[in-house]
Amino acid sequence: MENDELVQNILLELRRGTLSIAVLSQLSKEEYGYSLLKALSDKGLEVDQSTLYPLLRRLESQGLLQSDWRIMDEARPRRYYVISTQGKAVLAKLKQEWSVMAETIQKMLQ
Amino acid sequence: MSLIDRYIAEVGRHLPEKNRTDIEAEIRSMLEDMLEESGYQAKSAEEKVIAETLEQLGDPKLLASQYAPSRRYLIGPGWYDVYLQTLQRVLYIVLPIFATVTFILTLADNPLDFVNAVGEAVGGAFGVGLQILFWITIVFVFLERSDEVPYQARTKSKAWTVAQLPKVPHKRQISIGEALTDIVMDLFIFLWIALPLFQNWLQGDTESVPFLNPDLWNLWFPIFFVLMTLNLIHDVFKLKIGNWTPTLTAANVALCLASIIYVVALVATQQVINPAFLATLDSTQISELRNVTTWSTWSVNISAAILVGILIWDMVNSVRLARRLNERPGTLVITKSVS
Repeated sequence: MENDELVQNILLELRRGTLSIAVLSQLSKEEYGYSLLKALSDKGLEVDQSTLYPLLRRLESQGLLQSDWRIMDEARPRRYYVISTQGKAVLAKLKQEWSVMAETIQKMLQ
Repeated sequence: MSLIDRYIAEVGRHLPEKNRTDIEAEIRSMLEDMLEESGYQAKSAEEKVIAETLEQLGDPKLLASQYAPSRRYLIGPGWYDVYLQTLQRVLYIVLPIFATVTFILTLADNPLDFVNAVGEAVGGAFGVGLQILFWITIVFVFLERSDEVPYQARTKSKAWTVAQLPKVPHKRQISIGEALTDIVMDLFIFLWIALPLFQNWLQGDTESVPFLNPDLWNLWFPIFFVLMTLNLIHDVFKLKIGNWTPTLTAANVALCLASIIYVVALVATQQVINPAFLATLDSTQISELRNVTTWSTWSVNISAAILVGILIWDMVNSVRLARRLNERPGTLVITKSVS
């Protein structure tokens, strides 16, 4: 019971740390919040809306994303997000770091 | 107003003004997406479905706080230590000086009214202390907000070097300032008690009634002056040596114990305040204070209790510091060896 809670807490921190990478990687083409949520979920990453939306804002304010209100497919206006040039550079760097980290942890766990 | 409107209004209430409208619009659009996903048009969805969707999003206050990771504190970890240090230093320097000056000036105005002078000094120092606390806090709140990025985010990018290590703070256990303060306090107490006592006697003043009981001249005042002189000598050595060496500590413990015994015995057996002085009070301005005697006994007892408390603390503190004299930070003192 208690262990479950501890595991959940640590997983939460893990996810929070990796979520930015996941989001940046999925925004090479424009997505609005909900479609991104679906895209992440389809690939197996379940995220809370209340986490994802503010994160998009934060990444945008850091210059890693660009966004616009737009009407597509004759639907309601939605805010679309896409990765910026700076975001692409950061993502490339993050990819490298991530594979090193994954490898290191993997080695330790064997 | 629909549930959705109410929810968005509640989120908006906790959002920063700057991009409130925009975030509100985005949340509305997100909610509509969620409803459409469950097969409803936002306009015609049932109350129950809307409620479920909103509950999925959770507490509006929490959602808003995710959008605005603003500083939800006055002074953060980056400034807190500096803030405390500054506050402490300024208070330590300003308050004693202010209290002393106020005391002397008030006493100069009205040489026999200690109670009033002490009251003015303590009350004034309290007020000044509050002012200092307030203004220093305000300054640091502004400093905190002048940092563009909050502390935690900042420390990651800035490399820490050993050059940033502060000097070992206490080469001396007893700082020069502390020792000097003690000496000044000794002289001050000495004069405070002695001056009025001798004033009456020197000036051949038989008119004014002394505050402290003249009967104490037989034994108690002389002992007091002996104790104070020893204390003064001890404090000069504190200044000179700077550390709680065994001799200095032993002397301190002895002096404190002697003083405690003196104070307790004095208060328990003697009438400290001159009964004649109380009588003049009774007959003059404070006649409405019927229980002047009770009041004076109480204030003497409370002062004595505070004094004893300070003495005990002083004693304990010196012993505690004496034990740490030869420790280096991070070294263990092994008292028992394991066989």
